[in-house]
Amino acid sequence: MWKQVGEREVGKLKPHSFANRIKSNRISSLQLSNHKEIVSAHRGAVNSLQVDLTDGRYLLAGASDGSAAVYDIQCAARYEGGGLVAKHESIFVVDKQHEQGHKYAVSSAVWYPIDTGLFVTGSFDHYVNVWDTNTTQVVMNFKMPGKVYRTAMSSVAKSHMLIATGTEDVQVRLCDIASGAFTHTLSGHRGKMMVSGSTSNSIPGSQSSFPKARMLHKKAAYGNGTKHTSTTHKNKGSTSQRLHPGMLSSHDRATAHYGAVIGLKVCEDSMYLLSAGSDSRLRLWDIESGCNTLVNFEATRLQTSKGIQLAVTQGSSLVFVPCMSAVKAFDVWSGRTFLTFRGHYENVNCCWFSSQDQELYTGSNDRQILVWSPSRSVHAEVDERGGEALMSTSDQDNWSD
Amino acid sequence: MEKHSNSKGKKRQREEDNETTEILSLENNLMFSDTLIALRMMHGQFPKLDKISIHPFILRSQLYSSVYDRTQVDRDLESMKEDKVLRIFKLNTGQDDHAIMFMEDYINQVGIVEKRMEAKGKDDIMVFDWFKLYVIASKLDPSIGHHELCSLLSLGGKVKDEHITLLINAGLLTRQLIDPDMYWFAIPNIGSVLKGLSQGRKELLSFLSRRKYTEMLLALLEKKRLHMSPLDMRFHLRDLIGSGKLKTVPTPTGLLVRINKD
Repeated sequence: MWKQVGEREVGKLKPHSFANRIKSNRISSLQLSNHKEIVSAHRGAVNSLQVDLTDGRYLLAGASDGSAAVYDIQCAARYEGGGLVAKHESIFVVDKQHEQGHKYAVSSAVWYPIDTGLFVTGSFDHYVNVWDTNTTQVVMNFKMPGKVYRTAMSSVAKSHMLIATGTEDVQVRLCDIASGAFTHTLSGHRGKMMVSGSTSNSIPGSQSSFPKARMLHKKAAYGNGTKHTSTTHKNKGSTSQRLHPGMLSSHDRATAHYGAVIGLKVCEDSMYLLSAGSDSRLRLWDIESGCNTLVNFEATRLQTSKGIQLAVTQGSSLVFVPCMSAVKAFDVWSGRTFLTFRGHYENVNCCWFSSQDQELYTGSNDRQILVWSPSRSVHAEVDERGGEALMSTSDQDNWSD
Repeated sequence: MEKHSNSKGKKRQREEDNETTEILSLENNLMFSDTLIALRMMHGQFPKLDKISIHPFILRSQLYSSVYDRTQVDRDLESMKEDKVLRIFKLNTGQDDHAIMFMEDYINQVGIVEKRMEAKGKDDIMVFDWFKLYVIASKLDPSIGHHELCSLLSLGGKVKDEHITLLINAGLLTRQLIDPDMYWFAIPNIGSVLKGLSQGRKELLSFLSRRKYTEMLLALLEKKRLHMSPLDMRFHLRDLIGSGKLKTVPTPTGLLVRINKD
């Protein structure tokens, strides 16, 4: 490690690759954190997790008891275990007691991508609420025709503030915060929908309980402001056709999985799409051509009743997939199982990887949010916090002097 | 009588093994570096079946347990299939079961079946030649549609429904319930072996699950004999490890085989 620091100093090692090496070392030593815990404020299964994209400091969680909570994951509320375990509590909770809170389960909670001033929650009570974080009041809400399963916002969009929502109804609706109206309705699925937003382009991908995954492109034409959609779709093994513009016929259906598609994640700057199906298969699709890259991920049992949220590391080398009550990390390009995280008592629903700290947060049906962090030896911890009086008990020894 | 033939079988197998591989234990022989090497080794280690005349085939799950990188196995198989070195068949014993057979073995197998059909006095024997010449040579997928089959066979001569019936009776084509229009290529004479395969899998899994800790050392396990299956323990172990039902754990006393509870 010090040799690498020296090499970086003289210029033998590029700073970027130095940072990447340290990050991948830390990722390969991920385990259930022995120094950090999140005190879950939820009384129902945790359905959705997201750390905000700007600071990487606040974790937003939505749960089945209608509550959405925000946790500060960098500053602990209190320390326990002789100062060794940091407990992070929720900063606030909006639940059924809140007058504008959701009445049924919150299925999805996402931050407004530009800053942490707003967040969006979608719930089974057919509403999508946009909340102001500081006052915890609803500033806008959208009524959907069915239960909302997922909401997503694009993180790189500069010209629009659209929320893509997937509901029980077979259409994806795009809601605009600026105007308060629905701008688009994208149809094409035959079953219930879940939407995952891409991180670097305004491309929402949608999956459904019918075995297709559909990519919906939104391109803004210059000048006249009209928007048209073009669809690309995937077929197992064969090449796809790309249609322009916006024509969707009943011949454009292609099967991606033998069962329902359970989770979607766009990775590598929107070049590839990972889909998880209830047929226990994970597939990696090339978005540009629509082809299956035929990477062989080991078949693992995946839960079929709820959708799962996948997570990818920055640079897309690993994908974290909740498989029943464990979370497995697969290497994206070769399909090998890299790590398995066992700790939850019940099925894991969602996971989020924070690339800033190389930590993984997972939420499951057992109402807990677990933190998985790179292993840290206790002695290093003690030296760091020498100033705090909390260390006094562990510093004492038993000699009579 | 049975005991005598059993011991004779073991002795023959040991001699054959000594010729091809010096190491008998599965533990040292579990992982190979290359797909083709793995295929050839497993081809050589295929158990000798007395009553059934079938050429060696390898299951896809066995390859997954023997080569480290699954995606590389897939890619190598695809390229070898394109080069017509081997053929892949979809089996009906499970969701994702595929059998791999070298092209020479498959052609020999088709020849055996052709001779048997001829001996039974069936006419329309030339359909086997048409099958070998036109269908196998050009269609590399494990399945074929009805129209395509007829058009390829008619390159040899006039195709009648009786020809296709003859191919199905010989065991070269089957239908699977999902799709009424598709014929799937099959290895002839494989029926009893497949029955033995699924029964052997069940027997091995139930044997391990009845043990106190559902695990056993590989060195001890491979010496056991399976009663329900004509295929040997090594075949089944490779297959179950590759399909994920069993996993191997390294211990100081060797590899341990455990049922995968995921």
